Amino acid sequence: MIEVKNLSKTFDLSKKQRKELNTDAKEFKALQEVSFTCTPGRVFSLLGPNGAGKTTTLRTIGGIIKPTRGTVTINGVDIVNNPNEARKNIGFLTGSTGLYARLTPNELIAYFAGLYGVDKATMEVRKKRLYDLLDMHFFANKQIGKLSTGMKQKVSICRTMIHDPAVLVFDEPTSGLDVISAEAIINLVRDCKAQQKTVIFSSHIMSEVELLCDDLAIIHKGKIVAASSFQDFKASSPDQSLTERFIDIIKNSEKA
Amino acid sequence: MKPFAHIIKKELTEIFRDKRTLMTMFVIPIMLFPILLTVMVKTTQYFNDEANSKTLIIGFEVDDMEHPIVKNLMEVTLADSLVVLRPTVGVDEGKELIQKDSIHGFLELNASSGKELLMVWHKGTELEIADRITKNIDKVKQAMIETQLQALNIKSEDVSGFEYQMTPTASPQEMVGKLAGGFLPYVFIAFAFLGCMYPAIDLFTGEKERGTIETLLTAPIARWQILFGKMSVVVLSGLLAAMLSLLGLYISMNTLDLVQDPALLTVVKSILTAKFIFTLFALQLPLTIFIAGILIPLAIYAKSFKEAQSIITPLNIVIVLPAVIGFLPGIELNYTTAMVPVINIVLATKELAAGTLDYVYLAISAGVMCAIAALAVFISYKQFEKETNVLM
Repeated sequence: MIEVKNLSKTFDLSKKQRKELNTDAKEFKALQEVSFTCTPGRVFSLLGPNGAGKTTTLRTIGGIIKPTRGTVTINGVDIVNNPNEARKNIGFLTGSTGLYARLTPNELIAYFAGLYGVDKATMEVRKKRLYDLLDMHFFANKQIGKLSTGMKQKVSICRTMIHDPAVLVFDEPTSGLDVISAEAIINLVRDCKAQQKTVIFSSHIMSEVELLCDDLAIIHKGKIVAASSFQDFKASSPDQSLTERFIDIIKNSEKA
Repeated sequence: MKPFAHIIKKELTEIFRDKRTLMTMFVIPIMLFPILLTVMVKTTQYFNDEANSKTLIIGFEVDDMEHPIVKNLMEVTLADSLVVLRPTVGVDEGKELIQKDSIHGFLELNASSGKELLMVWHKGTELEIADRITKNIDKVKQAMIETQLQALNIKSEDVSGFEYQMTPTASPQEMVGKLAGGFLPYVFIAFAFLGCMYPAIDLFTGEKERGTIETLLTAPIARWQILFGKMSVVVLSGLLAAMLSLLGLYISMNTLDLVQDPALLTVVKSILTAKFIFTLFALQLPLTIFIAGILIPLAIYAKSFKEAQSIITPLNIVIVLPAVIGFLPGIELNYTTAMVPVINIVLATKELAAGTLDYVYLAISAGVMCAIAALAVFISYKQFEKETNVLM
């Protein structure tokens, strides 16, 4: 389970950044009092336009950045007070995630398994299952730099799942991928849901959201402007498409 | 295996597969550097030999043909086939001929203050040639003094009074160490910098640029463990490159005939004992950590490989310059120089090579260097902790 309570994040702005953003403000409020809960066995979608605060939220959940205020707990463990313990339960995957090009998938998986404290025997069992599932055996010893985008995506999935995390954080995981590679991610999200894992993902692709989402929140300018179950969200405006409803909510929040 | 060891193992695997790192860590120190050094030494030697075997042409004014200096110089040319005299019309023509490399020197004889003043014009850019002209003029001067003494019925041996011989009290090791010992740390620092540079950029800026840092930061390990794991690899790379450059030097001496004087070669080899190598390594370790500690914050700050390279490359001069200062003869390790980072290590290495290292100065130098290395590591830590630096 992920519990986000009153999460705020402020970044100091350098002179250069102030000039670029055409502002006199010395800080930028990326998140303001963001709260939501993601429950096991359900997929939570975080939607929002570019620069809304999706990545900042997910990075805070992943323990990559520290919140200015508020709390994030992963299965009851506070990410700020006990980051290493909380991170053990998180699998983090983004669309822009790079891989170590000079390592082979086998080396990369062993590296991350080691960082997560997975013992060798357990790693081998999990690795075999994931390799079977993703059909990875034939390129397991090739350098990652020489693999196709689809193969790399499979390595990323395997890397995310090798420590069998209870919580999965996907930040626009299919961005830049072709339909075939994106399908592997969609299947992964479905598998995670079936295994009663907690999943949060951000996306721009509304068809994906419709396909996977159980609960959602819309974030705009660092604030949650809508949050409900997907069913309720759709039922609130049955004549509108998801995209139309999303745009309406963003426009209305601008007026407010 | 602990996460720290995992990081080191993974980073070493990666950097040993990087062509740029292999080039700077192995190919340049072991192969290119010894070859280049040997070629440089041999080329210098060749040009020196050529300058000495060249026929030296000295010009003079035709009107001075009967001048005793010219006459005595003619005697010299009879004894030495590599010296030739060439009469010219005047000083201006003489200078012009020097510029055209038709002659190497020109004698302008002026009477002034009752003494004979010989103005010797030469190009000023060829030291070997100037040296040869001076030697020949000295011969003429000596011959003329002897002639004058003979005229006064005095034997030259009676005038000289005594003979002397310069005898050094320092051991051959001390002389070689003091004169050339600064070269070792200079090479060490230059290669340690080179060895640290690419891994620092690759392990920090590269990780940001390739988008792998985000994944690493979600792993259940403290950020300082990631930093120190990576930093250890940068330091190891620097030490390895530096040590291999010294190995390259040793190979040059043994196989490429870099040191031709057998007596000098024996002295150099006697300096390179296991104890010397170990102490040298111990001295250079904080220096290499310091270099890594300077490079890493810059690599963390840079957003691309190109940006990191453009920031770090000029720094090479800043680091290597103190090594050059320490390389200069006459600068000794004392309480003042022992307090100056980098220079203190260079001078301590020089003293170590000479076998005259004072352990009080060594302790001060090592203490100062460790303190500054610790400061550099702390700055790296602070930079790596900054979220805006680590994430794109």
